[in-house]
Amino acid sequence: MTAILRLEGVSKSFGALKVIDDLSFSLRRGEALGVIGPNGAGKSTMFNLITGGLTPGAGRILFDERDITRLTPPARCRLGIGRSYQIPQPFGGMTVFENVLVGATFGSGKPERQCHESCIAVLETTGLLGKANRLAGTLTLLERKRLELARALSIGPKVLLLDEIAGGLTEGECQALVETIRTIHGNGVSLIWIEHVVHALLAAVSRLVVINFGALLAEGEPQAVMNDPRVQSVYMGIDEDAA
Amino acid sequence: MTTHAVHRGTRTSRTGVLLAIAVIIGLLSVPFWAGRADMRLIVEMAYFLALAQMWNLMAGYAGLVSIGQQAYVGIGGYALFALAIHADVPPLLALPLAGLIAALIAVPTAFVVFRLRGAYFAIGTWVAAEVFRLVLAQVTALGGGTGQSLPATIVRSIADSVDGRDRLIYFTGIALAVCATALVFLLLRSRHGLALTALRDAEGAAESLGVDRFRTQLWVYIVAALGTGMIGALIFLQKLRISPDAAFSVSDWTANVIFIVVIGGIGRIEGPIVGTLVFFALRALLADFGTWYMIVLGGVAVIVMLKAPQGLWGLVADRFGLDFFPVRRLVRSWERGPPARNDA
Repeated sequence: MTAILRLEGVSKSFGALKVIDDLSFSLRRGEALGVIGPNGAGKSTMFNLITGGLTPGAGRILFDERDITRLTPPARCRLGIGRSYQIPQPFGGMTVFENVLVGATFGSGKPERQCHESCIAVLETTGLLGKANRLAGTLTLLERKRLELARALSIGPKVLLLDEIAGGLTEGECQALVETIRTIHGNGVSLIWIEHVVHALLAAVSRLVVINFGALLAEGEPQAVMNDPRVQSVYMGIDEDAA
Repeated sequence: MTTHAVHRGTRTSRTGVLLAIAVIIGLLSVPFWAGRADMRLIVEMAYFLALAQMWNLMAGYAGLVSIGQQAYVGIGGYALFALAIHADVPPLLALPLAGLIAALIAVPTAFVVFRLRGAYFAIGTWVAAEVFRLVLAQVTALGGGTGQSLPATIVRSIADSVDGRDRLIYFTGIALAVCATALVFLLLRSRHGLALTALRDAEGAAESLGVDRFRTQLWVYIVAALGTGMIGALIFLQKLRISPDAAFSVSDWTANVIFIVVIGGIGRIEGPIVGTLVFFALRALLADFGTWYMIVLGGVAVIVMLKAPQGLWGLVADRFGLDFFPVRRLVRSWERGPPARNDA
C-alpha cells in the first residue's frame, strides 16, 4: 500500500528545546493510525508541522508523494488535510452551521451555496444538526469536541488528524464518538488519532505509534506495541487498560 | 424525509429595512427645510459614520487594529486638491479617483505594515501615516507645511451658488455613509464575511480550514483605504482648505473614530451608528466646557470598555435580541419537503 502522508527525518526546536527529533513514519492510504505518548512528547507539535502552523527545522513532509513542507496551512487544507484541535477553537461569534460552512467553502474553493448540503450532511454525521443555529460560543464541551470533528470533516478530507478528541468525555459519549470515527474511516478517510483514552483509540485504529521526547519509540500492531516493555516503562499504568 | 434550507434574516431585520428607508428619506428631505448649520452638522455626522464603518470593518471584523487610518483621510484629501488644482478634474469626479489613489497607495503600505502583528501593527500604521504627513509637507505645489485653499474658480465649478454647493456636498456625504454601511453589510453576508469572522474568532483554526489570512486581510485593508480616501476627499471638499496637520490628524480621524466604534459596539454594524449619535450628543452637550470635553469623552470610553465591552448597542441588542443587519445563516428544517422542492 502506498503512503498518503509521510514524515521524513522531521525535526523542530523551540530555542534549545528539541520538541521533534528526527521523526519518520508514514500513514498508509485508508489506514487508521493511533498515536500515543506522554504529555509533552511532541504529539500536537507533530500535527502543527503536518498542517503547516509550524515549519520544521529539518526534514520533509510528503502528502501523496508531493513535498508539502513549505506550503501554507490553507494550501495544505485544500489538498485534503483536515484537523481537530485538542483545545477546541470554535468560531464563537458564528453559528454551528457557519463554523462548518467555513471549512466547506474555503477548503474546497466552491461557492458557498454549493456547500450547504454537504454541511448539513456533516452536521448529521456528527450529531450537531439540532444545534445548527446555536452560536458556537455557547456549546458544551462535548458539543465543542463534536464541532471540532465536524469542521475537520467539512473540508472533505483525505487525511483526518484528530487531537485528543475523546479527552474529558463520559464513557457513553466516548463510545458514540468512537462509532462516529469508525464510520468516517469506513468511508475511506485515512486518519491519525492522538489519544490518551487508550481503549477508545484501540477500538478504532489498526496500527499504533508511540512518541517519546519527540522521537519514535515504537510502532506496529496495537497489542504488540502496548505489550512492548519500553512502551510500558514510559507509559506506566496504561498496560492494564489495554490488556 | 427531512429537508433543510438555509435562510437569512430576522424579525427585526424587516423592521430594520423599513426603518433604514424611513431614515434615508428623512435625511434626503433635510436640505429642503433645514438651515446651513444643520446640514453641515449632518454631513459631519455622515462622514464620521462612514469612517467608523471602515474602521470597524478592519478592527471589528478583520482583526486589523489600525491607528493610522488618518493616512488615507489625508491622502484622499490631498488627492482631491491635486486633481482639482493641477489636473483640472471636476471636484465631484475627483472624489472616487481620490479613493482609488488611496487604495493604490494602500497596497505597498500593506506589505510593510502587515509584517507587524497586534500592537506592533497598530503602531506601524501610525508611523506610516506620519511618514505620509511629513512627505506631503515637503510638496510645495500642494502648499507645503502650511497647506492651501481650494481656488475660488474651482469652488464655483462645483455649483454656482453656495446653497447648491452645500446641497451637493450634503447628498454626497449621505451617499457615502449609506454606501459604507451597505458595503460592510454586504461584505459580511458574503463568503468573505465568513472568512473575516472566522479569522477574528480563531485565526489558527480558520487557516487550517482553508482561509487565507494574508489575502483576506489585504483585501479588507485596501477596501477600507478606498472608502476612507473618498471620505477624506469629501471632508476637505467641505472644508475647502487642507494642511498636513489637519489632513493627517490622528486625534480627529482616528481617535474620535475609535471612540465612536468602541462606544457603539465593535464588530457590529449598528455599533458605528449608535456611536456616532452618542459622540455628537456628547460633543454638543460639552461644547462650552473646553478641555473637559476630551476628559469626559475619555472617561466615557474607559467606563464603556470596562462595563460594556460589547458597546452600548451590544448591551441593548443582547438584552432584547435585536439584530437589524442580520448576517447569520440559519438552517430551517421540515419534516417533509417544502412545497418549492420535490424531494422524495
